[in-house]
Amino acid sequence: MPTLTADPCVSCAQHRAKSLVRLGISTDKWDYLIALAGNPNVGKSTVFNELTGLRQHTGNWPGKTVVRAEGAFVHEGKRAKVVDLPGTYSLLAGSADEEIARDFVLFGRPDVTVVVVDASRLERNLNLVLQILEITDRVVVFLNLVDEARRHGIAVDPVKLERELGVPVVQGIAREGVGIDDLLSAAHEVALRTDAVTAVRAEQYTAEVEAALDHLVPEIHNAFPDTPNARWVALRLLNADEAVEGAVHSGELGQLAHDESGALVEITAAEVRHRVLKKATSLRWGLPSNFQDVVTRRAYQVAEQISQRVQVRGLKKVGIAFDQKMDEWLTSRIFGFPLMLLILAVVFWITIEGANVPSSMLATLLIDNGHSALKGLAIGMGVPWWLDGLLLDGVYLATAWVVAVMLPPMAIFFPLFTLLEDFGYLPRVAFNLDSLFRKAGAHGKQALTMCMGFGCNAAGVVATRVIDSPRERLVAIITNNFSLCNGRWPTQILIATIFIGALAPSQLGGLVSAGAVVGIALLGIMMMFLSSWILSQTVLRGEATSFSLELPPYRPPRVWQTLYTSIIDRTLIVLWRAVIFAVPAGALIWLISNISLNDLSLAHHAVSWLDPVGLLLGMNGVILVAYVVAIPANEIVIPTVLMLTVLTGGFAMGEGSGVMFELDSVGATGDLLRAGGWTLLTGVNLMLFSLLHNPCSTTIYTIYKETRSTKWTAVATLMPLAVGLTVCFLVAQIWRLVAG
Amino acid sequence: MGLDTPKSMLGSRNEEPGGELRLGDIPLSQTVELVRIDLPSEGAEPLLERGVLPGCQICPVRSSPTGDPIVSVDGSLLALRRETADCLCVRLLSDAS
Repeated sequence: MPTLTADPCVSCAQHRAKSLVRLGISTDKWDYLIALAGNPNVGKSTVFNELTGLRQHTGNWPGKTVVRAEGAFVHEGKRAKVVDLPGTYSLLAGSADEEIARDFVLFGRPDVTVVVVDASRLERNLNLVLQILEITDRVVVFLNLVDEARRHGIAVDPVKLERELGVPVVQGIAREGVGIDDLLSAAHEVALRTDAVTAVRAEQYTAEVEAALDHLVPEIHNAFPDTPNARWVALRLLNADEAVEGAVHSGELGQLAHDESGALVEITAAEVRHRVLKKATSLRWGLPSNFQDVVTRRAYQVAEQISQRVQVRGLKKVGIAFDQKMDEWLTSRIFGFPLMLLILAVVFWITIEGANVPSSMLATLLIDNGHSALKGLAIGMGVPWWLDGLLLDGVYLATAWVVAVMLPPMAIFFPLFTLLEDFGYLPRVAFNLDSLFRKAGAHGKQALTMCMGFGCNAAGVVATRVIDSPRERLVAIITNNFSLCNGRWPTQILIATIFIGALAPSQLGGLVSAGAVVGIALLGIMMMFLSSWILSQTVLRGEATSFSLELPPYRPPRVWQTLYTSIIDRTLIVLWRAVIFAVPAGALIWLISNISLNDLSLAHHAVSWLDPVGLLLGMNGVILVAYVVAIPANEIVIPTVLMLTVLTGGFAMGEGSGVMFELDSVGATGDLLRAGGWTLLTGVNLMLFSLLHNPCSTTIYTIYKETRSTKWTAVATLMPLAVGLTVCFLVAQIWRLVAG
Repeated sequence: MGLDTPKSMLGSRNEEPGGELRLGDIPLSQTVELVRIDLPSEGAEPLLERGVLPGCQICPVRSSPTGDPIVSVDGSLLALRRETADCLCVRLLSDAS
């Protein structure tokens, strides 16, 4: 592997800060491999970002990182690859994410495993450290959140802890970048170390177990000579760990050790593999039946003893009362739900009120001025009408609309939502909603995947990996689309402002619109409960499994970093995705509006063909065509609707005079839609249908990847659509009955 | 995680059978000691991993909007379900000797 030329003055501390060259995600070649492990919500992703300079999304709730993230940096001339593993309490691999973490530490053969531990919960965190030390000595412990521990009146002595564990311990506060330099040097040293150290091994086993191990370990060595941790594998086999048994049975265990190098190894002969399993089974019979419990209890005892020796408790607590006060309100019996609604409503209200002015400024700039200026330029250059139309009236306008309509609300909504997440509010929402999910036969953690779905349904579907029961995970995947996602919030906000906010006196308009959007989001949550319940009663029958959720401490949100990450990670990425889909969609819309068949454009044909259906559903043909065009991305529904209304309505497009839009404000957009025949019912049903329809193509693909089943992908795709069509139809019929 | 015994009882089982206290019966803000977890190991493991171990001190802090308890254990807050709380045998601290 190539080594960069080392600088001579590598030892000075000042150099070190400079010698850290962050390489982002260019992880193709490296000199050593660092794995980041730790309990959930101890700040692994924050350490990862500090090391690699990447901005992996961090959030204050357990189970946020469900797939392993990779990054790289150069330190003292060596390239290091960093792998951020999902948070786990143990390596016993109960759920999909725990298995990812365990397999990597076991078989990924990292040169150093950095275990991030929460200084205020040392005992529990040490349990994982001890388990990892059973597998490898190449460990650095990063004692994170020492500031939070201090607030809880706990101080940990890193020097003593280092002596107890036998591996380097570095303390710090990752959120503030404190201790990262020391961590780097320690990891660097361990990674390049050639001599072995003696880490503490919690010798937690009775003589009987040790004797059984003595018999089994040679068998494993014999069958899989390259397996680095025969003793650990032996213990898992004695515990009848199904995953490890499977790996032995299939011969995968020998392969896994070579996964990273890509080398092909000969698979151990079947009879040798079976002998290992048979031996393990027979040895297991000789052990007492509560042997697993004894091992577990012993492990916790060791962790407890060590943590008692290294920590000072009972120092003066600072700021704890604040956490308790907050929780008294936010998860209170009486105020829990109302506060949840209020917080959501305030977020939307700020978004709606705040987005108005920048939205109209952008529309004036990009559409009124930008479009006519470009048009003038194109006419001056003698560009053929079809090219000018395709590029400017199609592609440019669609893109400009996406930007003008979506950017301002997103740039306000995402930072606000991310601040709430960073603060620690999301697990409280999950906690408040858990009992409802349980009554619906679903898993409590579905509330977390639901919250994730409020950002992006595809991300929500991936996040269901934190749910270990396959049945409940499937329920969570199928119903995730009822979480109103990024791509749909702007539609909701815009339509609510035009059609519902306008009903109220102008000073109350914003509040009323915000209320309407909250109502739609709540309806989505209710649909999620209802469909989960129906699924649990029918095709996915079963009871909810037990559940316990850790409520993380409130952490003061890092305002500037949150602004940065939410603008870069969420707003711009979502906007970019929308633009990418808007470009072909704009071209498509222009083409179908300008290619004529029997004197009428294709768009006219499609719209008038779908119009009767649309009217039956309380919408119109334009909306239905827009939803077909918008299958790749929900973001472009509104721009498509506007363009189709203009292009097929025939009232805004003067012949030869180019395209004329005066959408410099939300009010003008409303006037255009009303001129296109929209009523309050159209607006309401568009909001309903935007909530209740098929997931976007990205989400559908993600569902297929996660379930590997065409059947469940079809259910997850068609079920919400069927619900949406039914609801819109019923609303339209009842509305017309009542309104006469 | 296969276990030879389907019902594994963590902790000692020699308390008197009648007057056993369950965490679900403990009033708010009274700290008690956990004696035993009456759950099969799949149910008990997530609790153990989160620091709910026999011998630890545990204190119901609050109830959720729907009556599930939030307990404080090992310096962190844990939201349990009521059924789970009813599977945790505890004893009052004054009884402990």
